[in-house]
Amino acid sequence: METLLEKIKDRVNANFDLKDYKIYTDLKRVDLFFNKEHIPSVLLYLKEQMGFRHLMHMSVVDWIEEGEFEIIFFLWAPKEKVKIFVKTRIDRDNPVMENMDNIWPQLNTYEREFKEMYGIEFPGLVAPEEFILESWSGPPPMRRDFETDKYAKDNFATRPGREDAQDVRETIAKRSGEDIPDFAKKYSR
Amino acid sequence: MYNDKNKQKIVDIIKNAARKHSLWVLAYGTGCGAIEVPATMTSRYDAERLGVRGAATPRQADVLLITGYLTVKTLKRVIRVYEQMQDPKYVIGFGSCTINGGMYFDSYNTINQLDLYLPVDVYISGCMPRPEAVLEGFGKLQELIGKGIANGAQQYKENLDFYRENQKKVIKNWDFQDYNW
Amino acid sequence: MKREKATTLYIGPQHPGITGNMMVRLKVEGDTIVGARTEVGYLHRAFEKLVERRNWVQSFTMMCRFCVPEPDPVEESYARAVEMLDNIEIPERAKWIRVLVLELARISSLLLWHAGQGHSLGLYTMGQWSVGDRNYILDLFEDLTGARIYHMFIWPGGVRRDFPKGFEDKVLKTMDYLEKRLEDYDNLLFENSIFQKRTQGVGYVNPEKVIEHGVVGPVLRGSGIKSDIRIDDPYEVYDKLKFEVPTQTGSDIWARALVRRVEIRQSIRIIRQVIEKIPKGDVYTKVPNPQKWKIARGDAFARTESVRGEVGMYVASDGGAKPRRVHFRGAAYVHAVTLLEEVLIGQNIADVSAIMNSLGTCPPEIER
Repeated sequence: METLLEKIKDRVNANFDLKDYKIYTDLKRVDLFFNKEHIPSVLLYLKEQMGFRHLMHMSVVDWIEEGEFEIIFFLWAPKEKVKIFVKTRIDRDNPVMENMDNIWPQLNTYEREFKEMYGIEFPGLVAPEEFILESWSGPPPMRRDFETDKYAKDNFATRPGREDAQDVRETIAKRSGEDIPDFAKKYSR
Repeated sequence: MYNDKNKQKIVDIIKNAARKHSLWVLAYGTGCGAIEVPATMTSRYDAERLGVRGAATPRQADVLLITGYLTVKTLKRVIRVYEQMQDPKYVIGFGSCTINGGMYFDSYNTINQLDLYLPVDVYISGCMPRPEAVLEGFGKLQELIGKGIANGAQQYKENLDFYRENQKKVIKNWDFQDYNW
Repeated sequence: MKREKATTLYIGPQHPGITGNMMVRLKVEGDTIVGARTEVGYLHRAFEKLVERRNWVQSFTMMCRFCVPEPDPVEESYARAVEMLDNIEIPERAKWIRVLVLELARISSLLLWHAGQGHSLGLYTMGQWSVGDRNYILDLFEDLTGARIYHMFIWPGGVRRDFPKGFEDKVLKTMDYLEKRLEDYDNLLFENSIFQKRTQGVGYVNPEKVIEHGVVGPVLRGSGIKSDIRIDDPYEVYDKLKFEVPTQTGSDIWARALVRRVEIRQSIRIIRQVIEKIPKGDVYTKVPNPQKWKIARGDAFARTESVRGEVGMYVASDGGAKPRRVHFRGAAYVHAVTLLEEVLIGQNIADVSAIMNSLGTCPPEIER
């Protein structure tokens, strides 16, 4: 297994400018790191030449401390049964990524989502404006600096809780005019 | 607003008795609670024996079942559906998330307290409520209808300004026409 | 032929035939669909945002709610991803129990599919039967986990508890009952000439493009490609179990229905094997105190075969007590958006609901 993974890495390395790599033998997984501009040609090569035809997933991670978004493509080769994670980093303040929905049509959906959730621009992406949110005016919500609890508190009224922290059994017992049964009393506060 | 049985006219008593045994529930699964609705309606729990059954369109339905959390996008559709429904109409809030947000209390996309936006007649607590609890909720609604105090629709008409204000606060692209009953 | 003017038709979100809370915007000419757009977002609860505020075990309560009809594969994916990240080895018995839970979930979800597929073609009896029978599976879940729908039973480190007393016998009895019922289902659904006529040749997926489209699960197997994560990328103890992966070549609703018809029988077969072969032992490994549990920086991606196909969970850690990123890949994310939009073109309006059911559309999985 290890030689197969090494071979895959070497074959990609021979054709492209591989920045870094990592091999997990027990998980049958190779991580390949590239610069942003190589990604479309790498993905096309992996798909057409090396049999990684199935795109399992695409994901974005917000590394706010490093000022970067990490974009990951998860590929799977149905024949060799090997996973490849193609990773790249883009600038967080000016996030632009190439539109690649001609390689895999389902990337169109992913790109629509990331455009909305992270504010990543995909030049040339043909899609309706809104995917999940409707007339959203705030910042892209999945960015880490967006505070969801603060937004919820400002926009949605919450029902006040019981201030006295009273036991719910007492409330119910008082309301229905019954006594708390003996066995339950020891659990009451 | 609340009137007890002594103040009901005899015609109201008859009307309410008839209404409470024929609750047509709108088939709109607004949230994850919708998964327990088929179980409630089918053979084991069989809600139809209590007069509860599904209706396909809002205009033929009596009960709007809000099955769980409401996202802002769905809330707009739900308000639309609720206003299309004809009297008598009732709302059941289904699950903890309709009462106070439940586990989604800090989500930016779900409302926390349903009765600010729609008049709720009965809440069913739980995440998610079992079919027995759903039946119990329908039983409670029938009881309230029988007593003539399930008047959420009345409340909605009388306090339309209050509800509209809350709704507009949440729904940013408000494009309903201003109308009144 | 005179070309009619295209009309826009909205199906959903309030529509009795739609699978969950979503909308399909159709362009129709007469009765024929010439364009389709899926509109989702009615169920977006921002789970992936909320887990950033919860620790590794707290975020676990979110996981089962990703997909309502079949929550367990998502729990399994998350649990396995966290175990990969923190190098937790789970006991042998826990693996077997996980397989049992996953297969029970598969049966319950397939029974729900029977109901949906029958319902979408006007066969309401199917729903009464299979949802009724599904309650027996949910009873088993209740016995084992304490809940009907959301179990939160599979968790990082194993499973929450061992079988209750007499559980094995109950499972076997339920399986015997279900096997008998499946013959009735054959008579009602699969031998029904209306069902056959309404499904054969409808909802055709081009078999040459399926892998490039990211199609998975029964839809892929219904197009003649033998692919199942349980065999291709085995997890837990699936490599020790004997079962078949059915394939069909029709690539239409009927082919996918036949695939699922065999799958439910194979699940029963797996469950019988699990009950027979399950070893004795512990059911969970001790994991650190959830309040203080920190996981070293890294990422993991775990895949599980659900009824709708492969589901996956990407988990990234920054070395802290809370996940940096949890991203779920549902089968419906592909099936219900790009694939559905393509498949619907040229079909009739009346078949939309049946096609959606057959592709395994599950809206909460798309928008999470």
